[in-house]
Amino acid sequence: MTVAIVLLALLGSAWLLAVIEGWMTTGRLSPAAPLYSGLAHLGRESIVPRSPDRVFFEAAPVLLLVVAVLGMAVLPLAPDLIIADLGTGALFINAALAYVLVAVIMAGWGPDGAYAMIGGWRFLGQLIAYSMLIVMPITAVAMRAESLVNTAIVSSQAGLWNIVYQPLGFVLFFIAAMALAFRAPFDLPTAEGDLGGGVDAEYTGVRLAVLRLARLTLVVTLASATTVFYLGGWHGPLFPPWAWSLVKTLAVAVSMLLVGRYLPRIREADLMRWCWILGIPLALVNIIIVGLLILVVP
Amino acid sequence: MSGTQQYLLLLGMALGTVGVVLSLYGLARIMGPAQREPGKDVPASSGVLSRDPVWGRYHARYYGYALLFLAFDMEMAFMYPWAVVYKEVGMVALLDMGVFLAILFLGLLYGWSQGAFRRQ
Repeated sequence: MTVAIVLLALLGSAWLLAVIEGWMTTGRLSPAAPLYSGLAHLGRESIVPRSPDRVFFEAAPVLLLVVAVLGMAVLPLAPDLIIADLGTGALFINAALAYVLVAVIMAGWGPDGAYAMIGGWRFLGQLIAYSMLIVMPITAVAMRAESLVNTAIVSSQAGLWNIVYQPLGFVLFFIAAMALAFRAPFDLPTAEGDLGGGVDAEYTGVRLAVLRLARLTLVVTLASATTVFYLGGWHGPLFPPWAWSLVKTLAVAVSMLLVGRYLPRIREADLMRWCWILGIPLALVNIIIVGLLILVVP
Repeated sequence: MSGTQQYLLLLGMALGTVGVVLSLYGLARIMGPAQREPGKDVPASSGVLSRDPVWGRYHARYYGYALLFLAFDMEMAFMYPWAVVYKEVGMVALLDMGVFLAILFLGLLYGWSQGAFRRQ
């Protein structure tokens, strides 16, 4: 039952996000558009390039979707609305998200196309940039909660949300989450302008539909993770807990889309440089500030 | 739910997702296969078929970062258990990890001074 509800919420959020994304790009609000688009993809030819690494080519979209779904499975929507409340939930989500890299590199390597290949290797550079900014802020969150259990992390924010307690960590995590989901302005592996679609370029038909669904789902999962780690998860007045979780998750996801809409794509070299020169020192400072706060303020 | 059951559930979800995707592929297959036409399966490369293996096209210019990344990634393995017991252990924990982080941070500064944060 829980599984069905969480998966439905995940799928519903992905659909809503697709509608909003269409609204932002075309100016028309058409709720059925994602459905039509999905059906159209189903009917189109799904071409396999001439000398593919077939295993990688086929595995990439599926793996990306599995990763997004598994990430969502360890995040709570309400105190008892969680599929698997693992003892190491905060660590598990890191482990799951590490496979986003694997999936993108597979999608780059698999079709044996120049643009896709460049996109895939670019994402490896992107991982080296963002990955520390995912794990270090989560450490600071776990320090406050004294636990890696995701429900305990939300409970620890009952009095004060982490976005107030450690705003620096929130900003770093938000940016890194966008880079992990390769949304604009961090869409280096797909870069429509300079790579002609990059890792998306060789996927057509139903495989492309699965890849797009996986990317939307990944955004929802990351927005949900931001909610759980920083926005107090299900906490909020008046409305039931699950409603708060969903509203916050959608708000984070939409703000990710909005930020991407108004910023130019960043260069790989600049992204890595800023992440290492500014981002990682700030993440360490965040850990030390939170450490002092925990000891000084009871 | 016990730990084993939770992991079994996660495994089931992974397999279920794969199953859903495979059934979508099956559905698309029923609606008709891709027609074989010459030149259709050439990867996007501005109409020119590249003869070399394409992986020769990309030079990983971020290897300076990659080496530093290894050091920091190892450190994170220690950070998670440390974070859980941090409040319990108190000031000593902060000092322990502080010294460790300071050494790592010095490495970062040294790497910076040697031009590790430059695209090679």
